[in-house]
Amino acid sequence: MKTNVMLRLMLKDWRLQRQTIVFTILAGVTALAVLLIGGQTPVVIGTVFFFVSMVFCAALLPMQNIVNERKKQTLSFVMSLPVSSARYGAAKLVSTVGMFLALWLILLGAGLYMVLCRHILPSGAIPTGMILMNFPLIGFCLITCTALVAESEGWGTAAMAVVNSSYWLGWYLLLSHVPSLTKTWGGQVMVWSPAVVKILVVEFAVILLTLGLTLYLQSRKRDFI
Amino acid sequence: MTDYAIELNGVCKSYRFFELQSIALRLQRGTIMGLIGPNGAGKSTTIRILMGLVHQDRGEVRVLGCRMPDEQVAAKWDIGFASDDMRLYDSLTVGWHINFMKSIYQSWDDGYAQLLLKRFGLNAEQKIKGLSHGQRVKAALLLVFARRPKLLVLDEPTTGLDPVARHEILRELTSVMAEEGRSVLFSSQNTQDVEQISDQITFIDRGRIIDSMDKEVYLDRWRRLRLEVPDGIALPTLPGVIGIQQTGRLAVAIANAFEPHLPNAYENSGARVHAVENMTLEEIFVANVEHSREEVKA
Repeated sequence: MKTNVMLRLMLKDWRLQRQTIVFTILAGVTALAVLLIGGQTPVVIGTVFFFVSMVFCAALLPMQNIVNERKKQTLSFVMSLPVSSARYGAAKLVSTVGMFLALWLILLGAGLYMVLCRHILPSGAIPTGMILMNFPLIGFCLITCTALVAESEGWGTAAMAVVNSSYWLGWYLLLSHVPSLTKTWGGQVMVWSPAVVKILVVEFAVILLTLGLTLYLQSRKRDFI
Repeated sequence: MTDYAIELNGVCKSYRFFELQSIALRLQRGTIMGLIGPNGAGKSTTIRILMGLVHQDRGEVRVLGCRMPDEQVAAKWDIGFASDDMRLYDSLTVGWHINFMKSIYQSWDDGYAQLLLKRFGLNAEQKIKGLSHGQRVKAALLLVFARRPKLLVLDEPTTGLDPVARHEILRELTSVMAEEGRSVLFSSQNTQDVEQISDQITFIDRGRIIDSMDKEVYLDRWRRLRLEVPDGIALPTLPGVIGIQQTGRLAVAIANAFEPHLPNAYENSGARVHAVENMTLEEIFVANVEHSREEVKA
């Protein structure tokens, strides 16, 4: 019976990136712990650093796990194994997305625990928080797509720059176009308004579209090294 | 099962500033072929095409009977590939790499891997970033050899190595070849290495295969004739002679299809033959490339 090479490649990626994942989770949880101090300043600092830890990892993980494979010339080693470029791309995408999703879910769980059990923020902030939590996830998917398809440090850095500056634009658009959000986030009741649901659906659609496009473009590559 | 480990027919690949032109190449099972060419000749592109890493624009590629690039996964189970630009993971140890390969290949020979660790003076606990260039190359080749592949494709594996390390690797390569049925394609700019281990030689230049045959035939057919040409005598154009360089009364004729009657033919024309010399593979390579370039110009 032949070994599942894709699985071996994904486990290898997890082994190589485990420090980054653990560091991000620790940074995110530490930021949440700051919220426990109470008061406006710790809440602002904790919330900002909570998102910064994810934004940092959303940019770092694709660069380390995908672009470095070519930059550090380990791609020839990987491609000497019984794997096609399409399967390599799929394995890379699954491992990179899997790693980010794992830490994203852990931090989401930690954030929900802080709000629902420790009451550091009102429950009404959860819908807005969900929308905001998807920002680094979308940014991560866009950077991953660029890194995997272009496999270039230059394009990866450009994608990082565009994505990182778009977070503020996204926040601004959210506040200016969905004023109802600000009315409900201070309350004790979670309000899943049609506007919130619509935004979440669009966010998930962008994520799925980006990942699908990445797989499609990767499968059409003719020159791999 | 086909008799050839590698078959390339009419393979073309175009880039903006380089073109691989109708490459035809056959490597019989159980033989070592040296692929020699200057920088930018197309050695690595040819090797990448036969590994399925680059798709050819036209032509057919079969490796161990598998059509490339479509059947590359099936072919790669039995191909051991190493190139001079291949690196292992810096932050991981030699032992981790060994276990990684072991987890993939059922053909992995752990006893042989341990033997190679000793022979190459490597420590399984050492991280790749702590190894010298020579040790890194040896580690990469250990991972290839211990898989016991049917076909070894080595793209300039000895580049940048000191003579001792080169000798160790070539010795190991020769011992690996002792196993019946194993084939090797070995590209290099170092003609000494190729001459030492190859059965067949293929010269490639500017995207074209300019010659391909058995090493012994090459060494036997190429000769250098040192001539003295008295004033007023013109050297005849003889079949099998690809070039003559004359300085005053002294001339050197290069023959790529030497026949015993050639010296007599020059003597009969009035020239004196001072010596008929064998040529090294490097001299044959240089003369072949120059001749091919002149032919293309003409």
